[in-house]
Amino acid sequence: MSAIIENNQLPFSAKFLQFYKDRTLLAILLSLFAVMFIYGIFFTENYLTITNFKAIIRDAALYGIMAIGLTFVTLSGNFFLLSLKETASICGVTFAMGMATGFGSPDLAGNFLVSLLAALAVGVVSGVIQGYFVGMGGNPIVVTLGGAGILYGIGAWWSDNLVINFTRPHDAEWLGTGSFLGLPSITWSFILIAIAAEIVLRHTNFGRKVYLVGANKAAGKATGHENFSMAIIVFTICSVCCAFVAVAFVAQMDSAQSNYFSAEFGSSGDMTILVIATVMVGGNSIMGGYGSTLRTSLGAIFIAMVDNMMVLQGFNSGPRIVGVGLMIVFSIIVFGLFAKGSRAQE
Amino acid sequence: MDNFLKKITKDVDLSFAILLSFCVYVFFAINIEVFFSHNISFAILERFAVLGLVGLALTICIIAGEIDLSIGSNAALCAVIVVKLTDPLGAPLAMIIGLSVSTLIGATQGFVIAFIRIRAIVITVGTLMLLRGVALLIAEEKTVMLTDFRVPDFITTKVLMYFSPASLTVILIFICVGIFMRYTKYGREIYAIGGARKEALTAGIPLRRPMIIAFALSGFCAGFAGTVIGLKSGTAQGLGLQYLLLAGTVAAFVGGVSILGGKGGVLGAAIGALTVNFLNTGLVFYALQVHFVQLFTSVLLVIVIVFQTMSRVFDSRQARKSLLATIDERKTSLLEKKRSALGR
Repeated sequence: MSAIIENNQLPFSAKFLQFYKDRTLLAILLSLFAVMFIYGIFFTENYLTITNFKAIIRDAALYGIMAIGLTFVTLSGNFFLLSLKETASICGVTFAMGMATGFGSPDLAGNFLVSLLAALAVGVVSGVIQGYFVGMGGNPIVVTLGGAGILYGIGAWWSDNLVINFTRPHDAEWLGTGSFLGLPSITWSFILIAIAAEIVLRHTNFGRKVYLVGANKAAGKATGHENFSMAIIVFTICSVCCAFVAVAFVAQMDSAQSNYFSAEFGSSGDMTILVIATVMVGGNSIMGGYGSTLRTSLGAIFIAMVDNMMVLQGFNSGPRIVGVGLMIVFSIIVFGLFAKGSRAQE
Repeated sequence: MDNFLKKITKDVDLSFAILLSFCVYVFFAINIEVFFSHNISFAILERFAVLGLVGLALTICIIAGEIDLSIGSNAALCAVIVVKLTDPLGAPLAMIIGLSVSTLIGATQGFVIAFIRIRAIVITVGTLMLLRGVALLIAEEKTVMLTDFRVPDFITTKVLMYFSPASLTVILIFICVGIFMRYTKYGREIYAIGGARKEALTAGIPLRRPMIIAFALSGFCAGFAGTVIGLKSGTAQGLGLQYLLLAGTVAAFVGGVSILGGKGGVLGAAIGALTVNFLNTGLVFYALQVHFVQLFTSVLLVIVIVFQTMSRVFDSRQARKSLLATIDERKTSLLEKKRSALGR
């Protein structure tokens, strides 16, 4: 009680400091942003152009959307999925199958809506099954590691490990390469999904429940919000986000293969690790209950910025992966040191 | 007989592992004629040299209550270093340098985890990417190759019909680590911080020492696996060896470690790795594509996880029941005491 009264009587400057103390992690992220930005302006050519910023946000959009889905999982205290790229690849294969052959019936070939729904359905099924096992008490890391192998195996089996092509003009062009008001549609989806996720997490009953279950499983259970249903829902959300990214990516490439997301996605190696890294660079607590999708979006843009700067400076893939990896380790250590002893850690 | 049953029920997961590995072996031995032969046994032991080490690395980490996701990258880095240095320095020196680098990396990870009190999955995701980048950087984004492929012949020559120097060394490592984990103070500390960390810390066990030892051991094992792979094939890639994580995890979990930590052992890791080896070697005879091997390995993992989860749920229910029973007993005895007191 006395603490509250004292806090009300504090002078304005102290309040201001308190405000920033509460938001240390966000402040660190923003200052890192500023440092990178200023460095980019002075030492990189062609950095400060609108085209380049569009490219950065476009890069960020692909793994940003997946990372926003993953944020729900992380916030609810279920660590993360190791099957992100495999989910995306099987959904991409499904979509391409639908666009190319219509799942066996020629009438449906090239039907965008059916293919999209099929891909999303695959995402929902894989999310529900993995969420079920996790909700039953399995460890998320191990369950999704097994799930990753199975999903990849099924995807490769179904597509015979071949590249599935479909020809250009098709109904999905607007999603893959189209643009609206000067921004590509994938960027628009990123922005819309980020806003929607933020609203859901902050202003709906469900969003509060995610935070509650993540912050304190026992309290959640005592108040009737078990991790079982929560795990299923958040895993489904995450898998659907992966499916959406896969559809957009396949629509852009006009083809799909079971290891499209495996080998070297973009420049930073493994897609799954990149997405997990995005969530962590944003400063979300891996133990759950602390963080937001806004941070994740900022993390995605930050990683894209660093990568973009290194591309413009003419680095090969090796140094670029080292750069992004160093950034991840650095931010994890900094966030860990600042969160030491606070509620956000454990 | 009674003794035997007690032994089985005492460690359900280990018995299940032995049963599973036996089933897999018998299945392939019946279906494939040559499976039960000297050469196949030699081949299985050769594969065991790699997979067993990775399984051991993960087992130690999981016993400590953490999981090391960076072993694939660590192995790849060590393989690249060893293969690259073998030409100028010779194989033994290159091996020493590579192994000390990966042990050092593991120890650093353990130190950071214990110092910041962060979860290992968090930091090892970062190092997974970082080490992969470093390996690419050292390999200059190419496949590193030996110029003289006869150099590493010494690790593949047959000894005593079934063994090669590589598999003999690995078995020696297994025995040493097993003794270390079971009979020394440092090994018991790893079990303690995994099984009940809060209690262990309160009892005065330092967090830093066992964590550093566990991760250094895991780094060493991963590095050794990378060395064996690199020297045997004579090539190494910066982006390779990521499949080791899945294989190692399956080996560790089949071997009966619990993700909650503090349970499992070296013997389990060996059995788990052998099971995965039987499966992989058997599938070779069916001439299946790589993704099928991955599929079946994952199915094995899921079976084991389901079994473990079920047995855990069963155990907790059983414990609850016995607790309720004792409470009932006490209540009735108290009531009787009261009654008898009132009666007097």
